[in-house]
Order: sequence, then C-alpha cells, then structure tokens
Amino acid sequence: MARLVEAHGLFGVLAGAGNPMTAITAAVYASTATEFVRIGVRVAVGLEHPITIAEELSILDNVNAGRTIVVADTAELDQESAADEIAVLREALANRPIQHAGPRWKVPAGHPANVTAPASISVTPKPAQLEIPFWLTGRHASAIGRVMSLPVVAAETREVHQPPLVQPAMTSITGSLNPDREHVIAWAATGVTHLLLAPPAGADLQALLTMLSRYLGPEVLMPHFPRVMSDSRVPLPWPGDRQA
Amino acid sequence: MRFGVGLFSLQSTAMQPAHWAAAYRDMRELASTMESLGYDELWLSEHHFFYDGYCPALLPAAASVLSVTERLRVGTGMLLLPMRDPQRLTAVAKDLMQRSGGRLDLGVGMGYRDIEFDGHGMSRKQRLPRMVAGLETLEAAESSGGPPIWMGAQLHDPVKRAGLRGHPILFSAALPFERCRTLAKIWEEGWVEGGRPASAKPPLGALRNIWLTEDPKEREAARDWVRASYVQYAGLGWTLPAIGEHVQADFAEETDKAIADTVETTITGSADECIRQLREFESIGIHHIAFRLMLDGAPRAALESQLRRLAEGVLPRLGDKVPA
Repeated sequence: MARLVEAHGLFGVLAGAGNPMTAITAAVYASTATEFVRIGVRVAVGLEHPITIAEELSILDNVNAGRTIVVADTAELDQESAADEIAVLREALANRPIQHAGPRWKVPAGHPANVTAPASISVTPKPAQLEIPFWLTGRHASAIGRVMSLPVVAAETREVHQPPLVQPAMTSITGSLNPDREHVIAWAATGVTHLLLAPPAGADLQALLTMLSRYLGPEVLMPHFPRVMSDSRVPLPWPGDRQA
Repeated sequence: MRFGVGLFSLQSTAMQPAHWAAAYRDMRELASTMESLGYDELWLSEHHFFYDGYCPALLPAAASVLSVTERLRVGTGMLLLPMRDPQRLTAVAKDLMQRSGGRLDLGVGMGYRDIEFDGHGMSRKQRLPRMVAGLETLEAAESSGGPPIWMGAQLHDPVKRAGLRGHPILFSAALPFERCRTLAKIWEEGWVEGGRPASAKPPLGALRNIWLTEDPKEREAARDWVRASYVQYAGLGWTLPAIGEHVQADFAEETDKAIADTVETTITGSADECIRQLREFESIGIHHIAFRLMLDGAPRAALESQLRRLAEGVLPRLGDKVPA
C-alpha cells in the first residue's frame, strides 16, 4: 500500500486504520518501504502509557527520517482524560525536559520508592522533525482541538495554528568552552528548543563542532548527563584494516 | 552454533555523535550486510531517558530491521517488560511475527533504573509482580503465534526462575566464562525442577566481546572501544554481580575496576584462538553467540571489516550447517 501511494505521487499513507493496537508496526513497515511519502500513524490514546507511545513515535520518526504524522484518536476516553494523554504525548515529543501534572498523568510519577528518579525526564531520542504534525480524530477531537489549537481530521477545512512547542533562536559563540557553556545555559533557561549558533570568524570548525557535540550538547541541553562521560578519555582511533 | 551481532542501541554518544535517523538507517544497512554474510541474529538493547537516545522502544526498531531482511532473526536483549502493557505488547509482537515470518525473539528483563520506572508511572517496587504478570500473558501467547521468549538475568535466583519457566537466557558479555558456566548449571537445575527432561533443554545464548585481529595496534584499539562502551553503562548506573557471589554488587564506587575486568573478557586474536574460546561456550550449552561489536569509538568501516573477518574465519567452522 505505502509503495503504491508513493508510486502514485500521493502525499502520505495512514497506518493502523484497521487495528490501532498494531499501528506502530504497520507504520514502520510503511516507512522502510518508501522514501518520500508522509507516514500517518493512528494512535488510539489510552491503550498504553503515553510516554511509551511517545518513545515509539520518536523511533518511528527517526526510522522514516522525519516523515511521521500523528493522528491521535481520543478513542474510549472521556474528554478530560484524552486531553491529558495528548498533552503528555506532545510535551514528550518536544525538545525539552518534561514535568507534567494533569488529571490523568503525572510525569515523572514521583513515586517515593524511586529514590534516584529526577524531577523531570527527557524522552530520547528526539524525533527527526522539529515538530511532528499532530492531528486529532475521534469523539472529543473538536473540543480538544479548539483548546490545544490542533487540526482536527474532519469534513471541514481548518487553518492550523502551530502551538509554541518549537522555539528557535540564533546567537553567536566564541569557541571557548566555559563562556560558551554559560551562554548556552542562559539560552536553555529561556525555554528555547533549537539554538542556531554562529561560529567566530576564522574558527577551527572541526574543533568547534567537537566542542558542541561532546560538551555543550550533552552537558547543557540534555538533563542527567553522567559526569563519568565527560571525564573519560576519548576512545582510540581505529588504526585501519591491516588484515589484508 | 548460531551467530549474531549486538547490541544495537542506536546511540549518539558524546564520543561518537551521529544523527539518530542515520543510526537507524545504518542499522538497516548493517542488518542486510549481516544477512548476506551468513549471520543468524541481530540483538537490540533498551534503556530510557538517557542523554544519547539509547533505544527506548525495541519492537519498532525490530520492525525496521525485519522489514528489510528475509532470513535474519531479530531479538530484543532485553525489552523491559514491567514497563509495558502486556496485552498491547503481545498484540504488537504477534503482528510482527506474522509480518516477518516468525523471525522475532522476545527477550525480556526487569530493568533497574528508578528514572525509567518513574517516567513510566510506576514504582520500581512493582517490577517483579508486573514482570510475572507480563510473562504469563506472553507465555499464553507463545503457543498461538507469539514470539519465543528469552530472558536476561545474571544473578542466581532470576537465572533459576528462567529455567523453571522454561525460557532460555542470553547472558551478558560482561560475565566471564566461568560465571557463565556456573549460571548455565543453575539454569539447567531450574529447567529440570520444572519437570522437563535435561535432554530437551533449549540452547542458551551469550553476548561476547570479541575482535578477531592479530594486529597489536588494532587489538589495543578494540579493547579500548570495549572500555569506552562500558563507560556508557557506568553512566547508566551499570551493575554487575560480583564473580562467584549471589548478591548484586554496585560497582558505582569501583567503576574503573569493573570496566577493566570486563575488558578482560574480550576474546581477541586469530581465528583459531577465537574459535577455541567460543568452543568453550558451546561445551556448556551456549549455542547462540551474539558478537558484541557495537562499541563506542568503533567507526563503521571497522565494524564492517570485523563482520567480514568473523564471517570468513569463524562462522564457517562453528556455524550451523542449516541457516536459522
């Protein structure tokens, strides 16, 4: 089906329309069978913890390199519960740590027995897309769509208002680790999700990118970065294939 | 014997950054390479909320590999069962079995990190009853199109429980051979106590750190990649049972020693030397070997070279004559 949709130049395919329980496998198979089409995946909320669903959707979006569309079905839940499920899903798929306390879910749960659990979590990996298109369907879709400014799959056409889950920004860095770390921390504190960095003139780009990927990214932007990583030696390079 | 490769965890580490979409694409490409070289199995690994994107959802990842291969089996090593709704998990696993022609092996474990339980809305104290309830659902499904169940454990009691329930174990690469021998015997005791004949026991499995090379420089690099990989696990709060003991020792305070000990489990040398050591595992009933080649610091060219070397030097002499 997905191959056919692509061969015919249509924009996308919806996986899981028949059985929402197994929509994720259908969507993955559709993803690897195609290159360009959007992969819609029907997510019936309430069948699994929304963080688990968010993790699966993020994997899907990386498998298809950013072609996922979520079609969230409010299914059997009441409006308040469905809205809370969808809120957790969307927060989990955004590029920032989450702390959610709603009528149905508290994330993280904050169980007293989980003594080393932090006050926030970050679902990883992040989706390939800046923001996965998120459409609503089902009994409570219209009501929730109005509140959350999300498009509803319906007979009428609506203008889509993007919620402020993605907040890009642009700034400059110096190439010096400590001042750059402070600078990026200050940006992160504002809630920015994607920060475009201008390098200093004449910078050694290889060194600069190493600093970003090894230190600024993991240490500043990711919560709970283990210190043992940054204190450890860089693994040795491969000396080359000498077997021949 | 049957040979696989693991653990695919799809990370973008601070030492070896990559785009996650590229990591998933690379896994599909490597799976196709493995299949063409004669490997039988690919094993995935799960963690949650880790900075490097360590794969948190194994069945979608497995589906991506199964959808582009025809013969290769894909195993989860291990899927953290207490964090899943067992009914939905069973539905997804059965769907994947049907789509792939029965090529999924469902390895399940309990998990150990508080953050992972708390992020999924549960207390770590609930993990054992949830594990048992999940197993009962999966076991009921196994006879009606569900996947074969594997278990991950490295302490005496859980290993024996796996034997009692009749599920094979995939041992950690961090366990030295003698420890694997001890645990294999304990597993067999459980198998027999469960009322099954010893002669009917299924083959067990083990991950092994291995690098086939006679070049001292490459050997040094490979061992260093093993070290770097276990630094990742140290970051995850890695624990390993002390050798010869029942109790679980937390190596957080002895990380360097634990990592160094694990590096020493690495099989390196000529094809003859690798085969000699792998035959020891075969002699204790471990017939599934997953080469632990996904190492932090190892570039893809090195990995592909190693896949070819092992396929040419080891698989033809130890592999089953009939492909999986």
